[in-house]
Amino acid sequence: MFSKPSTPRRAAATATAVLTAGLALTGCSTGGDDGDGTLNILMDNSEATGRLMQALADAYMEANPDVKVELEIRPGGSEGDNIVKTRLQTGDMPDLFFYNSGSLLQALAPGQTLVDLAGEPYMDVVTDTFKEGVSAGDAVYGVPVGHAIGGGVLYNLAAYEELGLEVPTTWDAFMANNRAILDAGGAAPVIQTYGTESAWTSQLFVLADNYNVLAAEPDWAEEFTANEAHFADTPAAAAGFEHLQEVGEAGFLNEDFASLTYNEGLAALVAGEGVHYPMLTNALTEIEATDPEAVDDLGFFALPGTDAANHGMTTWLPGALYLPQSTEDQDSAKDFLAFVASTEGCDAQTADVSVIGPYFIEGCAVPEDVPPAVAQLQSYFDAGLTAPALEFLSPVKGPALEQITVEVGSGIRTADDAASLYDEDVKKQAQQLGLEGW
Amino acid sequence: MSRPRAAGTVSGLIAIAVSAVVFLVPFAFIVLTASKNRSESALRDFSLPTEWAIWENFLAVVQARDYMLLAAFVNSTILTVASVAIMVVLAAMVGYVMQRRPNRWTPLLNALVLAGLIIPPAVVPTIWVLQGLGLFRTLHGLILIEVAFGLSFCVLLFRAFTATIPRELDEAAMIDGAGPVRLFFQVVLPLLRSVIVTAVIVQSVAVFNDFQNPLYFLPGDSNATVQLTLYNFRSQYTTQWNLLFMDILLITIPPLIMYAFFNRQIVAGLTSGAVKG
Repeated sequence: MFSKPSTPRRAAATATAVLTAGLALTGCSTGGDDGDGTLNILMDNSEATGRLMQALADAYMEANPDVKVELEIRPGGSEGDNIVKTRLQTGDMPDLFFYNSGSLLQALAPGQTLVDLAGEPYMDVVTDTFKEGVSAGDAVYGVPVGHAIGGGVLYNLAAYEELGLEVPTTWDAFMANNRAILDAGGAAPVIQTYGTESAWTSQLFVLADNYNVLAAEPDWAEEFTANEAHFADTPAAAAGFEHLQEVGEAGFLNEDFASLTYNEGLAALVAGEGVHYPMLTNALTEIEATDPEAVDDLGFFALPGTDAANHGMTTWLPGALYLPQSTEDQDSAKDFLAFVASTEGCDAQTADVSVIGPYFIEGCAVPEDVPPAVAQLQSYFDAGLTAPALEFLSPVKGPALEQITVEVGSGIRTADDAASLYDEDVKKQAQQLGLEGW
Repeated sequence: MSRPRAAGTVSGLIAIAVSAVVFLVPFAFIVLTASKNRSESALRDFSLPTEWAIWENFLAVVQARDYMLLAAFVNSTILTVASVAIMVVLAAMVGYVMQRRPNRWTPLLNALVLAGLIIPPAVVPTIWVLQGLGLFRTLHGLILIEVAFGLSFCVLLFRAFTATIPRELDEAAMIDGAGPVRLFFQVVLPLLRSVIVTAVIVQSVAVFNDFQNPLYFLPGDSNATVQLTLYNFRSQYTTQWNLLFMDILLITIPPLIMYAFFNRQIVAGLTSGAVKG
């Protein structure tokens, strides 16, 4: 058997060897392309970003037929942060990329990796509020895409009407409303969702309270960044943790808060199983995508503080487009940025995507017929009662806040303890950033 | 006599019922969710859809992002076939030599193989190496990475299995005049068949399901592998559960077919390789 190897066997052996060697060399090679009239843009995979960027890309390609805009997606969350950092560090970033503004941008070391846009003429129409969120020192790095986002409480309009409740302007009034809802039975006053991948929703009581903190302590953000003020020793700042503890202890939370997910929380709010859901207004995009008519059943108010006369809203900035230094064809990338920072840019966004808040570009108008929650959001902007969230005023944000607030909401940790624990948590990040005073 | 047989039948039926529940119920959930419209799927109930949207969902998933899924299937197939083929042949050679010819370097080589299992890969330095070699953003670069990460496990598998092949066979072949290459490819490799099947199955599933490596080492929409298409429908804030599950369903089918065909060989290969060290 061994002395006379059959030809098929030998052929098979040779074929295996050749195949193995050959496969290593074949395979389709696809490299990054540059300078051929194609503009590559990396963005996160959320539907909202995708639709906004697609609208901008389509409108731009219509106006400039010789340019092709290609969108590439990446995951969001911490995995997305890793990808953006990796690709910036290895010089592999596409011509432009979409990313968060605020403290996440600071973590990219923008001075070393991004192009400063402060001197560009089209940046003049970008509002100063937004520029503050995408600046490091004197340099400005980003052009806004999308709408302003408010942090506060989404509530069920039908339930408010049925019980004859009014929008609360102080924390006590909010708690009184909760009490009335609980006494009426049938619905949970406050929805909390600590289930799979939804722990971030627990932070709203703390993060969306920043307007009230700043109302009491105008220098809070600077002092916090300089390690002079802390959550534990600033009563106004610790109030966010206390509020969360209060609603938990009063039994206002939905029974299944520990396992409910963000999507299920939104569904429960729409269905009236819960009345209040502390949330960012970009949740309206998700609600509309799942059930377009449900958006009209919801209202919005800012997280109330102590002063009824000064009831204002904490705002979040939308993400922005950034220009990496590694981009070879800077001019065509800047031409696209100029388009985004123009009224044509925001008209393109308005035409294709439902508006959930005002734009950060001067001269951009919001249509008249917006859902009630968006109108309520707009009223805070019209009255000038807004302040940015802490993450846009200070680069310091601890990574464990969501775990800490889940503990407070679940009654595992007291508010005082949580505030001091969070002060410890931010210390690590401040030291990593090399800030002075830590 | 009939008593123990009856008991055996009963426990067998129970085992079948339990495995049916464990494997078929999640699969039924995937199929049901993949057939729902978006608002119904967001509830994630285990229920029949009120209207079946399986065809619409199928089209939506296939057409998403300019037919990305089809390109991804091509990429994943090339990646899996190529990397597993290289892995198996190289590992069989290494395992055979290490088992047959122990010398004073063997402990060091063993340590290196183990290191391949233990030491985690670092992303940025690996990208630097790939960029230096001109292999970054190419499918063959990723194939080499998959081979590097899977090789250690395969070597261990092949070395253990080679011990079960009598050395006399090698000697007989050599007496008959076979050189080293012919000895390996015509005598030893056919005898390794069951462990080859095991290695192929285990590594195919691992490479096909790999998410992290394609994500970092092969960026770009045109380079996507099937696992990356899941991110078309799932994001931090919004998820299209019906399309996500349809995508999962489509991705699950190739490995499922492989298991159905090679089921017996996998079990045989795994157990026979495990007997001797």
